[in-house]
Amino acid sequence: MDNSPELQRFIEQEKQKAMVSEMVGKLTNVCWDKCITGTPGSKFSSSETACLTNCAQRFLDMSMIIAKRFESMQ
Amino acid sequence: MDSFSSSPSMGSSSSSGVSTEALMDQIKTQLAQAYAQEFLETVGNKCFAKCVTKPGTSLSGSESSCISRCVDRYIEATGIIGRALFSSPR
Repeated sequence: MDNSPELQRFIEQEKQKAMVSEMVGKLTNVCWDKCITGTPGSKFSSSETACLTNCAQRFLDMSMIIAKRFESMQ
Repeated sequence: MDSFSSSPSMGSSSSSGVSTEALMDQIKTQLAQAYAQEFLETVGNKCFAKCVTKPGTSLSGSESSCISRCVDRYIEATGIIGRALFSSPR
């Protein structure tokens, strides 16, 4: 199939977007469970907001540690 | 924009050339539907767990309002996570 370069570029872009959206979706799922313990109010408390931010960033840190750990096993 | 450069048949639906633009529009629509569907499923699961702890014969007023708040908060949480990952210095 000879796709136009325009289509190829479009598909690459959508792939990137899908990866980003999957990651955000997955982390929201995980961090929601960790950080939002009570019934949801009409506004997040500052500690809930901070917890969500920290949760996402620490998950990234952890992913990097795991990746390094695997590299060192090779 | 070469909106009418035709591409060969995709699957069985069309054997005549489909413009690249039309194809991209179709893909965009389908992706948007898939994202929305997945999001709805997740939000439904989360908010059912939080707000309907003991299902009765109908949703009570407080359960309904809990669900509205929960949906709003889940959307907000998605924004917070997105920003935490992609637009804040670590």
